[in-house]
Amino acid sequence: MAGRDPLLPNAWIVARREYRDRVRGPLFLASTIVLMALGMLVAVAPIGIRYLDRQTVTRIAVVSDDADLAVRATAVADSLLNILPQGADPAAWEKPYRIERSGDRAGVDAALSKGDLAGVLLVQRLPSGQVDVVLRSNEGASSARAQLLGLAAFGIGVLDWSSRLPSGNAVDPFQPAAFRVEALNTATEGGRPLDAQEAASRGFLGIVFVVLLFITVVIYGMWVATGVASEKSSRVMELMISAASPRQMLTGKVVGIGAAGLSQYIVIALPTLLIIAFQDRIAQLVLGPSWSEGAPIVGLSPGLLAAYGVFFLLGFVLFALIYAAMGSFVSRPDDLQTLSLPLSLLATVGYLTAIVALGGGSGLWVTVASFLPPFSPFVMLARLMVSAIEPWQVLLSIGLLVGSIAVVAVAASRMYAAGVLLYGQRPGIRAFVAAARKA
Amino acid sequence: MSLEIDHVTKRFGTTTALDGLAFEVARGEVFGFLGANGAGKTTTMRICLGIVRADEGEIRWDGRPTGELPRRTWGYLPEERGLYPRMAVLDQLVYYGSLYGEPPDRARREALAWLTRFRIPEYAGRRAEELSKGNQQKVQFIAAVLHGPDVLLMDEPFTGLDPVNLVLLREAFMELRDRGRTLIFSTHQMEMAEAMCESVAIIDHGRLMAGGRVRDLKRASGRRSLRLAVDGDAAPRWLAELPEVEALRTGAGGSELELVPGADPAAILAAVLSRGGSVTRFEVVEPSLEALFIEHVGRPADDEATLAPEVVSPSLQAGGVA
Repeated sequence: MAGRDPLLPNAWIVARREYRDRVRGPLFLASTIVLMALGMLVAVAPIGIRYLDRQTVTRIAVVSDDADLAVRATAVADSLLNILPQGADPAAWEKPYRIERSGDRAGVDAALSKGDLAGVLLVQRLPSGQVDVVLRSNEGASSARAQLLGLAAFGIGVLDWSSRLPSGNAVDPFQPAAFRVEALNTATEGGRPLDAQEAASRGFLGIVFVVLLFITVVIYGMWVATGVASEKSSRVMELMISAASPRQMLTGKVVGIGAAGLSQYIVIALPTLLIIAFQDRIAQLVLGPSWSEGAPIVGLSPGLLAAYGVFFLLGFVLFALIYAAMGSFVSRPDDLQTLSLPLSLLATVGYLTAIVALGGGSGLWVTVASFLPPFSPFVMLARLMVSAIEPWQVLLSIGLLVGSIAVVAVAASRMYAAGVLLYGQRPGIRAFVAAARKA
Repeated sequence: MSLEIDHVTKRFGTTTALDGLAFEVARGEVFGFLGANGAGKTTTMRICLGIVRADEGEIRWDGRPTGELPRRTWGYLPEERGLYPRMAVLDQLVYYGSLYGEPPDRARREALAWLTRFRIPEYAGRRAEELSKGNQQKVQFIAAVLHGPDVLLMDEPFTGLDPVNLVLLREAFMELRDRGRTLIFSTHQMEMAEAMCESVAIIDHGRLMAGGRVRDLKRASGRRSLRLAVDGDAAPRWLAELPEVEALRTGAGGSELELVPGADPAAILAAVLSRGGSVTRFEVVEPSLEALFIEHVGRPADDEATLAPEVVSPSLQAGGVA
């Protein structure tokens, strides 16, 4: 049959109908508008949070019986928590933290429990001479603020020790040690290691890209599966299968429904990404120049964007075909619910592995999964964002992905044709496999 | 040139749907494909279209296996009626036409012409789901013929149509036949098949029971029927007891008697008159297609036995004898 039925133009005609059928629906329009608004809201949220932050000054009280210790502790905490942002005007900048010295222990505890204080730093000298610092806070020990104050405790100790050195002693003045990280497997840009801001941006964007890919694959994949299954189970199929071959119909469906999904995705993602791209300028406009902290996409390069486009498109096509094959297998759209779980688990494995990779994980499974379809679109994308990847590795991953798409396309086409050949029947798996062999 | 169904066998699991089915349909013919539910009519049509594959045998059109023919050779009106519910009628027709290779402009012109002919041009822009079942049926018929197929396969095309639309469809059939198209349809409505078909195939359990030109089949049966109406007693039951009568079907307008081979109709007339009946209708006719069908298949095609349409000649109405 394939010989007498070239793929085009019928696949294109089917694709066009499927596309129009979806994008012209009022539900499509409504959901696109809602999701676009939601996406923009999420993108603008960091500015809103910073705006709210600007309205409030976080208070931390320092309590100590030792006046000198109290002064030093206040000074160190102030210097570590109130770091002037890059490019901000010191005269116009307002400190986000107010470090207050207090002698009223009961009063600060009450203020802490009421939420008026974010934390209380209890500083005292033990009989051994050691400085003891306790942070009382409603946050956990792993919060960034707790860690900074932990560093402050060390500074307080050093200052206290140096203040008790005998005067006139021939000791060199204290010099803080220099510190830098030489990471061997971090991303580079043009051979240059990324600075901290770029690296953070890459991590953030990696999460955004992987999440977007996961959501897109699962949601629009189900669109494809439902489209295939519902037509197969509907009476329209009888007329369609006399007019077009299964291969033409399947290709048209995957392309048409996939394009409708991508259209919605682009309409949602584009304004969201634009807001993210110009977040610093928007923040400057809304919050003033002192609140510009650099755009979240500062680490994004054209090469990375292209890689994202390639892996996104190939991953999308691969999963769309897998979902289409699943839609071919069932006789009613209701049955898709059962089959969708294992398939979404496949995508979930890829997603979780990618999250591990974004967190710096580089174990054997992460490496293997970055080449192994259908996980590779997630994992190789994640590795590209945060690690140094050789070009041949990227090309090999893409090549394997393209190869798997070809294999899955043939399998999906056979499954769809088998579903068509068994039209009107309720076949068992054996009959289905037999029909797929003949298809 | 003809459509050859050449000893086709098809099994679904343990069920044999077609069992060496063989017959031939000449080009330009209106052909009736008759059989009870589950006889194998739809399966045969699906094998023609390549939707289902035969286990044995082959179907050829013009000497070529159907698998080698372009899809536009066929027009198909399936028994399962189905249009895209949310798609406009005209868009839908252009869509199907395009799939069969018609340029969109031409498909649009043809579709509008057919819609006008079927008296539903105002539905061109409406969604299919807004149409009545009968009008959807007409739209689906247009979808099947729009690309000008050589062979038109129709599965129960008259189901759900009112008498006016039946006439419209029947006229369309005749016109397509006059243009040289071959029309094959299955039906349970024997009177429609009788009125339109030059040839038929009667199948049962996937086997051909009888086939050929309707006229020849009737002659070969050696049977005759008698349509009889008696004033004051449209359906006298005692007729069934006459030795010349093999079967009796009664209805409001009279009775139809199937005579045993060689029976003399005059003997029946004499029997009626001897009982003092006033005969208002007396017509000797060849056996109906329904009678032939029952003879070969052994049971009614539908759940209910139907009486042939009442034909009362003016002379009979005046009390004469034809």
